[in-house]
Amino acid sequence: MTTTTNADVLLSVRDLKVHFPTMDGIVKATDGLSFDLAKGTTLGIVGESGSGKSVSSSAILGLHRGTNAIVSGEILLDGEDLLQLNDEQMRRRRGQDVAMIFQDPLSAMHPYYTVGNQIGEAYLVHNDVSKKAARTRSIEMLDRVGIPQPDRRVDDYPHQFSGGMRQRAMIAMALMNDPGLLIADEPTTALDVTVQAQILDLLQDLQREFNSAIIIITHDLGVVAEMADDVLVMYAGRAVEYGPCKEILTHPEMPYTWGLLSSVPDVQGDTDARLIPIPGSPPSLLSPPKGCAFHPRCVHRDKVPGDLCFTELPDLTPARSGGSHVKRCHLPNPDEVYRVEVLPEIAPDLVEETP
Amino acid sequence: MFAYIVRRTISGLVLLVVMTLVTMMLFFSGPLHPERHACGKICSPAQIAVTKKAFGYDKPVLVQWGQFMQGIVKGRNFPEDKKLEKDHPELVVHCTAPCLGYSKYFTQNVTTLIKTSFPISLSLAIVAFILWITGGVLFGVIAALRKGTIIDRGIVGISLIFYAFPTFFIGLFLYKFVSIKWQLVPTPEYIPFSQNPWSWLTGLILPALTLALFFMAGYVRMTRAFVLESMSEDYIRTAKAKGLPARRILTKHTMRAAFTPLVTMAGLDLAGLLGGAIITETVFNFNGLGGLAVAAATNNDLPILVGLVIVLASFVILANIIVDVLYAVIDPRVRVG
Amino acid sequence: MASYRKPIAAIAAAAVVSVTLVACGSSSDGGKGKTTDAKGGTLYYLTKRPAEHLDPQRMYIGRDLADMNRLVYRQLVSFPVTTDKAAAVVPQADLATDTGTSSNDGKTWKFTIKDDVKWQDGKAITCEDFKYGASRTFATDVIIGGPNYILGFLDVPKGKDGLPLYDGPYKNDNAADFDKAITCDGNTITYNFSKPFPDFPLAIASLNSFGPYRKDQDQGDKSNYAVFSNGPYKLEGTWDVAKGGTFVRNPEWSDDNIRKALPDKIVFEQGLTNEIIADRLIADVGQDKTAITDRAIPPAYYTQITGAVADRATLTESPFVDYVLPNFNKMKNPKVREALKLSTNINGWITAGGGDKAYKPAQSIVNPALVGYKPNPNFSMLPAGDLAAAKQALKDSGEKLPYPIKFTYSGGTPTSDKQAAALKDGWDAAGFKVTLNPLTDTYYDIVQDPTADFDVTWGGWGADWPSIATVIPPLFDSRINLTAKSNGQDYGNYKSDTVNSMIDEAAQMGDVNDQAAKYAEIDDQLGKDVAYIPLEITLFYFLHGSDVANYISSPASNGYPELGGIGVKQ
Repeated sequence: MTTTTNADVLLSVRDLKVHFPTMDGIVKATDGLSFDLAKGTTLGIVGESGSGKSVSSSAILGLHRGTNAIVSGEILLDGEDLLQLNDEQMRRRRGQDVAMIFQDPLSAMHPYYTVGNQIGEAYLVHNDVSKKAARTRSIEMLDRVGIPQPDRRVDDYPHQFSGGMRQRAMIAMALMNDPGLLIADEPTTALDVTVQAQILDLLQDLQREFNSAIIIITHDLGVVAEMADDVLVMYAGRAVEYGPCKEILTHPEMPYTWGLLSSVPDVQGDTDARLIPIPGSPPSLLSPPKGCAFHPRCVHRDKVPGDLCFTELPDLTPARSGGSHVKRCHLPNPDEVYRVEVLPEIAPDLVEETP
Repeated sequence: MFAYIVRRTISGLVLLVVMTLVTMMLFFSGPLHPERHACGKICSPAQIAVTKKAFGYDKPVLVQWGQFMQGIVKGRNFPEDKKLEKDHPELVVHCTAPCLGYSKYFTQNVTTLIKTSFPISLSLAIVAFILWITGGVLFGVIAALRKGTIIDRGIVGISLIFYAFPTFFIGLFLYKFVSIKWQLVPTPEYIPFSQNPWSWLTGLILPALTLALFFMAGYVRMTRAFVLESMSEDYIRTAKAKGLPARRILTKHTMRAAFTPLVTMAGLDLAGLLGGAIITETVFNFNGLGGLAVAAATNNDLPILVGLVIVLASFVILANIIVDVLYAVIDPRVRVG
Repeated sequence: MASYRKPIAAIAAAAVVSVTLVACGSSSDGGKGKTTDAKGGTLYYLTKRPAEHLDPQRMYIGRDLADMNRLVYRQLVSFPVTTDKAAAVVPQADLATDTGTSSNDGKTWKFTIKDDVKWQDGKAITCEDFKYGASRTFATDVIIGGPNYILGFLDVPKGKDGLPLYDGPYKNDNAADFDKAITCDGNTITYNFSKPFPDFPLAIASLNSFGPYRKDQDQGDKSNYAVFSNGPYKLEGTWDVAKGGTFVRNPEWSDDNIRKALPDKIVFEQGLTNEIIADRLIADVGQDKTAITDRAIPPAYYTQITGAVADRATLTESPFVDYVLPNFNKMKNPKVREALKLSTNINGWITAGGGDKAYKPAQSIVNPALVGYKPNPNFSMLPAGDLAAAKQALKDSGEKLPYPIKFTYSGGTPTSDKQAAALKDGWDAAGFKVTLNPLTDTYYDIVQDPTADFDVTWGGWGADWPSIATVIPPLFDSRINLTAKSNGQDYGNYKSDTVNSMIDEAAQMGDVNDQAAKYAEIDDQLGKDVAYIPLEITLFYFLHGSDVANYISSPASNGYPELGGIGVKQ
């Protein structure tokens, strides 16, 4: 069920579970997640807030260590299980082999230290070099990510940068040590639309240059369409649809994915297209609904015979379109439903073209 | 920044002047009759009137305030009686500018009284400050790092006990056991630093500890809260993601942010303490500004009260300015913005 | 109520009381204490309340008056150092050659000053020094706060406001008046009074305001804490108003038949809390072994006063009497006042205030130590009272029952509130309906206001010298107390022509004993009117260090530690 051959695999996540014990019970933020990622490719993880995308990616970095979270499964990076490393070994990997950039670049940077100081720190901690060398490297990287006059701006504080510049600086910080894997957690959500595109372009540029694998976490399918090779759709801590980007976007087979697609405004699209929000709200991770976690919000559940949706959690099964595309849904004929009922609603102009 | 400091200083001075007037008006609007107290056991109304005049309390408040302000600028004589100055100069007290008045109870100029009392309060405040900041921050950080464990609960619990007990009780307890019963330190007493630094320290360690325990309790809880808050900040996650060692994250990233609000509070608390710690000074018989305030209150001595109001208010105003300036040093957002 | 809560009037009292050395626990009459005749050592005096004045013409606190008499301010006559109750209130010659002679029905007094008595600078004490001292009290705008009886007694013309036209040595207006009233003839000083002053020697021995003052040392207000000694000690350096000071030997002192002056040094440590003083004296280590105090042991410490510590504790009667009094502007029905008296729960009041270590029931507003004291027969049923008779009296009064009364007292402490509640219980049981009205800062403003609406209030008093003349007239002579704005010390607004004329009769008597008999009669009349209801005599329960010798609380020391004979065991 992967799109890559084993030889190319950089990251392989197997049955990842991240559980948080609380006073009220166990919150299963991520519950059995598996995926693979090849060198130089991009995986897009999409889902609503609370679907477990950020928690899962934080687990890859080992950011749950030292908290009461229970993390299980396997996270194989270059064949080595990160969950088996001790804290110190894991720390040495962070920023070196795996780096991460965050949603809000303002709060992600310490307000009391200069940008150069914070970027340089990432270099200093993994390399036995002088502060001067770290500074030189910082200026170089700032220049690389497109900060004008980097030798001057290196001494500015984060609040003196614009939002886009801050995210560029964050990217510079993440790429200081040329990591094999870059996790970008909603990197453009907090930015202006015009800046968003620049940042995405920058990431793609840099990916080509450094040959990094990227996990891009987003709720924006537009970003996925532009960036990702593979797409993983998450709902209530689980993957509900996973496959090559093009497959997922053109032949989605899970009603939740349809919902996501239908709620994307198409800037170039015609005005007949309707924005259809997904009814209801994300489920509680403390006591998720029985059966398919999505059934309370699913408008197609009546098309499934019996009360399967209410009682049985569907497995990840190969999609009808074949290939490596998998989905977690009881619908016997999702491709039919999509073509006949969903597509005309969300993209009437596409109906004719689709075979 | 300089213009800012000048502006703040000027508004502070105006506030001080207004406060002296308000203090005087409050004093005379209250049910106090210092002249009746001073006059003695059996006094006819005529004698009380003479006493009132001798204290200068017979004049309207505004006139008295005018004389007070004049004293600050030019100095004053007590009593202001030209004939007496000529016939009996030995009876007249001269109070040089800036004159804060003359205390009939202490038969001293208020400035002299404050000058002798201040080093005592200053010594107490400094030693207590050092104790409580070190203790409070240390235990607060430990509690935050061990959040939810026995250690955390123990530290928070014990500090709550010290916070809940009256200072009077803690002071008395320390005095009674540490000094009197176990004889671990000499009888608490103020000995000037210049005379003997060691005796200075041993003499004031108990009152300083009493104050420190009270403040420390609050600082433990505040430090704990600020560190925990700072630890949950996004930039701490960034620091972790960079692969920084835990110790470096704590010392460089967490603490720096957690201490900023502490600086404000510590500055204001220290300023308040410089103005005298009334209960602690009473328990340990330290005649600092707090002791002076008690004496002034029990004897309804207006000049000392006004003098202390000025001194205390100056400390608070000054501390506010210093804290604001410090803030700019600590927080680059304030500095540039 | 402990003595530190006394109103100014009571604290300032300088009565000389006969002290029953009621021993604590098993010890009796202080016999267990150490004795010595050895000179030397340092005595520490631990106290809380700072002296307000050390100027002899301004000091008015019993403790300070007695202490300074023994240390630095000798008088023409002084009381002897003795535990004998009667002897203690008999003045002895001190700076004078004898105890003085009076003539003209007690209106003229003559004393001759000894030849060889000196100031601390070696100069002789002269008649002019005494005259100058007396003159200072007339400068009411500078010498503030001291006993001012001389203004009323001395035969000088007075102005419309009642104050003498002579205004003291600084302004010196009408000095001729004063020069005629007090005259010097060599070493002989003559005082001329406008009315009989038979107890003048008692006043001299009790107060320091009739003592000598050296004109060249006088700086008016600036001299408030200056001590220019003629006694066995002198002040070392200056007096710290807050902390106290140290007295060392005065080499110029000699020829003293009263003071033993055993310690080499006496250190006054002011500003300590009662608790710390008790803790230090119980611990009894280091210099505290030679320490004494004037602060009562707090009730919370009573359980620690056992064994060897109890041997160092003494219980003595103070000069203070507490009483309650009806407001005659409101409680006009004599039967109601009678019922109030009969149902006053004195035992409850005493228990709430600390019990028999703190108070002893009183039988009169006059302290038993005073010359001519007699228990007032109208209060013989106290402290138990008679509830049945009280109920009957209230029923007979014809008033509507329950009779509502408002009790205004000096409150603000848990003890005073508990004590007031005890009184309320007794009165309520008799058929009153009591509202408690505790006041703090405003207490004296309210009780001294003739229009105030309280029915009953509280008072405390200590005599200025051991004569009833310093109790009854200042408290119950309506002519000197009642004005439109204030009732002075007559908080109950009591006004009786009978009593006023009897006071006049007493004042015209030139003999102390005759006077005392008359005052006993007046007290009886006050009792019949229920002008007051006596509560208790405050007791002094003091500790001292184990190396203090000759420790007594003498009558002449107002119940405080007697410094005249005290010594330190080395």
